[in-house]
Amino acid sequence: MPGHRTKGFCSSAAALALCAVLAGCGGSGESADGGRIVLRYTWWGNPDRAARTEKAVALFEQRHPDVRVQTSFSGYDAYKQKLATQAAGGDAPDVMQLDYRQIDQYASGGVLLDLGRQRRLLRTDGIDPGLLATGRVRGAQYAVPQGRGTETVVYDVQAWRRSGVPLPGRGWTWDQWADAMRALAKKTGRPGGTDPGQSEDAFEIWLRGQGKSLYTKDRGLGFTAADLTRWWTFTDRLRREGAVSPAEQTTQLDGSVENTPLGRGKATSDVNWDAPASGYGALVKGGVALAPMPSGADGTPGQYFKPSMFLGIGAHTHHATQAAQLIDFLVNDPDAAKILGATRGIPVNETIRKDIGPRLTGFDRTVADYQASLEGTLKDPPQAPPSGDNALQTTFQRDYDQVSYERMSPRTAAENYVTEAKAELRS
Amino acid sequence: MTTTDVPAPTAHRSAASAQRRPTRERQGAAWVFLSPWVLGATVLTLLPMAVSLYLSFTDYDLFDPPHWVGLRNYVQMFTEDPRYWRSVLTTLTYVVIAVPLQLGLALVVALALKGMKRGKGFYRSAFYAPSLLGASMSVALVWRAVFNDGGTVDHLLGTGGWVNQPGWALLAVALLTVWQFGAPMVIFLAGLQQIPAELYEAAAVDGAGKWRQFVSVTVPMLSPVLFFNLVLQTIQAFQVFTPAFAISAGKGGPADSTLVYTLYLYDRGFVASHMGYASAMAWVLLLVIGAVTAVLFRTSRSWVFYASEGER
Repeated sequence: MPGHRTKGFCSSAAALALCAVLAGCGGSGESADGGRIVLRYTWWGNPDRAARTEKAVALFEQRHPDVRVQTSFSGYDAYKQKLATQAAGGDAPDVMQLDYRQIDQYASGGVLLDLGRQRRLLRTDGIDPGLLATGRVRGAQYAVPQGRGTETVVYDVQAWRRSGVPLPGRGWTWDQWADAMRALAKKTGRPGGTDPGQSEDAFEIWLRGQGKSLYTKDRGLGFTAADLTRWWTFTDRLRREGAVSPAEQTTQLDGSVENTPLGRGKATSDVNWDAPASGYGALVKGGVALAPMPSGADGTPGQYFKPSMFLGIGAHTHHATQAAQLIDFLVNDPDAAKILGATRGIPVNETIRKDIGPRLTGFDRTVADYQASLEGTLKDPPQAPPSGDNALQTTFQRDYDQVSYERMSPRTAAENYVTEAKAELRS
Repeated sequence: MTTTDVPAPTAHRSAASAQRRPTRERQGAAWVFLSPWVLGATVLTLLPMAVSLYLSFTDYDLFDPPHWVGLRNYVQMFTEDPRYWRSVLTTLTYVVIAVPLQLGLALVVALALKGMKRGKGFYRSAFYAPSLLGASMSVALVWRAVFNDGGTVDHLLGTGGWVNQPGWALLAVALLTVWQFGAPMVIFLAGLQQIPAELYEAAAVDGAGKWRQFVSVTVPMLSPVLFFNLVLQTIQAFQVFTPAFAISAGKGGPADSTLVYTLYLYDRGFVASHMGYASAMAWVLLLVIGAVTAVLFRTSRSWVFYASEGER
């Protein structure tokens, strides 16, 4: 009977087609590898951090033979975009490294698992309560801080010494910093440092040095277009004088140390976070040292200790237990701490910090000593930035691009930024 | 489907049912064979399009459920967003630079290859290869390195890196596209080989030189192919993304000089998490491409010559 044949054929063909389509969609959801559970763990960083992370992960796998950890990493900018895409598609990794700026948005958006449910496996009692609270949104713990970091003026020791310009030290002001940049440029024939005009982080420190802040307590903008105009006029002048890097160099910044003027051998110093500064070690022959960030004219410090990065678990993970075990291992295990050192900032677990502190070597030692030298001199960190802030970092860079390429005056660019920031924070 | 595919038993049926039933059967069979495509088109194209149209009227931020805002995204786009207009201008500039350059180069190379006696296959492959490779991210990154400061172009011309200068960066993006002229070239080559040799012979007998032959024989005879390439490449140029993304590390810099439309769309959607706004941008792009294509078709009546028309 042809009718039957057609019908049977029809349904089987449709089933076949459906299978093909579904097979294309599925696959990545259930993850198993020869009976072992596969955990996806993503983070941002540099090759130095990658090598240590791989080593720590290998130790974790050795202790948990039933788990295989699949890691992937990229620079911060690329990571931020990729994670947002994955999160939107409901495909967030099992374990993910997060920034201060992402937590509010990701937690409110249902991307992160409430870690309170994993309390038994993921111990947080070794972490300073104040620091731990930064990973909390509306009373629930969504992320665990992994390290403590702060901004620094990182510099090529040999080049700076050779220039004869006095080395930077505690309590220097932004004006003294600017003079040093000018003097370095004159003596070395290349810019003293990276133009910090594009960095929202540097602007925040400059702002705090004047007793102001990026955001108000009720999540509004904490500064005016006039404030930003002053900052950009300040950096724009230095750039015109050749004291800081030209626009062609600054525009290549993408969050990796390799693409900074200091990393490319085109400047003597940079303003960066202390932990990633270890990456300069491999790029700067004469070695690098860390100086505190400049303070306000009256000595008010602008920099602060910030939870450098967090770890969170994807809300839709199938392996919450193993994910919690991995985070616990990375944060609380003494052997893991030995391997990881200070690559993500100084460890947050206080026992471990005391334990490994004296045993840190190389650049980890440098970071630890640098932070110790600041202990007790800095003001409290600001509260976590509001969600809209995520995109504003990029906007900040873009608007400053218009200044450094001399397509806009600092005032026009600052007014543009403030307008956009207000719109972004309202939505 | 041809009549030979109709199962044998139908031949025994009465004339009336023979007309009706096989038709239904054939329809059923047709749907079976179409089903992979229909399924794919529905699930992968139509449904996402419908969702995107809906999202364009919302303020979806990827995380919270979408919230209806009516035409706000469209109004904001046209009246409150200077960066949107900058991206429109950048894209138009790009289209105007890239498309004529690419088609021109493709035609010149196709003409050169047509007259070639030996090694034609080799050169054809060699010129086509960039089209296969060029769309990939890796080549775009190499391109960036070549045009970066300290890169090859900097060494050869001493102009500094092109990709770091707002005045030059878009040209670097365009050149990456122009370099991938292989696909239109192959189509031109096929078109050139379709032109009957006797037309050239007749023209030569009438005393037409090489240039005159090109203008009076090649161009009109090639115009349908030229039109086809023009439409295709223009549509592609409006949607340029990868080269701009790779060369500017996803930022559209320096100073927004490579912020093409799709890159800004991507920025609004995935960096700023304004999916509703990005969807609205996507729909405007669709309408604009549709309009531009319609205009091209309209103008084609006056300059595209089909050989069959001549016979009428």
